[in-house]
Amino acid sequence: MASILSLKNISKSFGHIKALKEVSFDVPAGSVFGILGPNGSGKTTLLGIVMDVLSPNGGSYEWFGNSPSGKQRREIGTLLETPNFYHYLSAQHNLEIAAAIKQKPAADIERVLKLVRLYERKNSKFQAYSLGMKQRLAIASCLLGDPSVLVFDEPTNGLDPSGIAEIRQLIIELSCAGKTIILASHLLAEVEKVCTHVAILQQGVLIKSGDVATALSQEEWIETGSAEMEKLHAVLMRLPGIKNIIRHGNHFQVYFNLPSPKPAWLNQHCFEQGVVLSFLQPGKKSLESAFIELTNHASN
Amino acid sequence: MRDFFNTLRIEWLKLKYYRTFWILLGIIVVCIPAFNYVIYDLTDNSFPKINGQNLLGNPFSFPNVWSTVPYNAGILVFIPAILIITLFTNEYSYRTHRQNIIDGWSRSRFIFIKLTQVFILTLFITIIVVFTCMYFGLHTQKGDQPKAGWEQLRFILFYFVEMLDYSLLAVIFAMLIRRAGLAMGIFFLYMIIEQFVVALGRNKYKLTWVDYLPEEVSDRLIPQPFARRILAPNNNALWEKNVPLYLSVAVLYIIIYILFISWRFRKADL
Repeated sequence: MASILSLKNISKSFGHIKALKEVSFDVPAGSVFGILGPNGSGKTTLLGIVMDVLSPNGGSYEWFGNSPSGKQRREIGTLLETPNFYHYLSAQHNLEIAAAIKQKPAADIERVLKLVRLYERKNSKFQAYSLGMKQRLAIASCLLGDPSVLVFDEPTNGLDPSGIAEIRQLIIELSCAGKTIILASHLLAEVEKVCTHVAILQQGVLIKSGDVATALSQEEWIETGSAEMEKLHAVLMRLPGIKNIIRHGNHFQVYFNLPSPKPAWLNQHCFEQGVVLSFLQPGKKSLESAFIELTNHASN
Repeated sequence: MRDFFNTLRIEWLKLKYYRTFWILLGIIVVCIPAFNYVIYDLTDNSFPKINGQNLLGNPFSFPNVWSTVPYNAGILVFIPAILIITLFTNEYSYRTHRQNIIDGWSRSRFIFIKLTQVFILTLFITIIVVFTCMYFGLHTQKGDQPKAGWEQLRFILFYFVEMLDYSLLAVIFAMLIRRAGLAMGIFFLYMIIEQFVVALGRNKYKLTWVDYLPEEVSDRLIPQPFARRILAPNNNALWEKNVPLYLSVAVLYIIIYILFISWRFRKADL
């Protein structure tokens, strides 16, 4: 898969603080690429560098396989940190400026405003908007000209639960439409629901990157129970690929050495061995646990 | 060229609906003639007339008006400075200087168009000064005085250089300080401190280099026009001798400011 963005040994210092230390990774075309990390890990600094508002102390990067330029940035919709607009202008006039800089038709403004449900308020001044509306306007600006690449830095900041769900849905729809999305966030649940790839940063160091399944191995298990717990335990022990069985009251948590064990397969095996299951449920370690495990391991 | 006009149009979109811009511009347009009228009224009515002639001469008549009005307008240089600092620091406080780059402008284009804006604004104010000169000149004309030659019209060029010097210095303060109120305060403080250093250096310590400090050298392009023949008869010849040097140093400051502003914006973290 071709790389949309390629980073090579990017370093950045603010005085004696090293914000990024030789960070390298590639963002594949068509991926939803999550940049994860706690607050202050360097996510926004990294995006600031690739959008040319911060100068790196070392390293290089390429967009679409070429040296960075304004022409390339015009083909990328970016929301970096906070919505940045002229406070004294209306949403319509602010987007006219953004469209003119991006060299996109002003006729597209109506479409993007409708998409983020701000069309009715297009003539209100930016300073009269709520935080959520400002964020939605910034997303509308990103969508001007229907760019093939979108960069969102904490896109759900300031949004209410329904706004968060809308943005998540929008990201999924954009991804389905073949867009490449780079999403920086410290909200793991947000990333878990939409990302195909991740890069994990901690204190400016890239801990891991790659597709979600590889970068954040999320251990899976099956929870099961029966009226005959002793017999069930004996049958489970004979299952191929068993790693560990832990008893929790009236059910077992069964770990496997196999990837993605199927509950139907376990049910069939038990039934053939004469055990009828009363409880069967697959389980998966949350991204949050996997992330905390990974970052703890890195800091140790 | 099409790119340049497109960029200029975007700057116009930023200003078109900005009320503060129009108010400050209106103040400039009104204050330059109004302030000159106050001085005109003062010189015309507050000094004794000898044989029907004003003691100060006719500073608002042709051809003297070409230096009088620019000199008076130069005193109001702080008003355009407020406007320029406001326009520049707005970009920083709204963080739109970052957004313009993110959306696809190069850093060079952003700073080039901002400097062009300063240039156009300075040119516009200079045109106001020209109209003010013509108004007073025609209004006070008696008989067949010569209206203007190069000797007089050069003061319009000098005013433009003086204004550009101050305006670019205001841009530097806005760029480095980034907050409007603080930038204006420090800019005005700098103006006062430089005047103090010049007064002290020249009068007490007889230092000549103080004449070439940024503000002072551009101020020297337009000498005090009232009753110069009476109050400082020898200064005229000295000024004529030194004016090419004053002009060269003032233009050099403009070049240095432009280079510094461009370099800083292209290299700094935004």
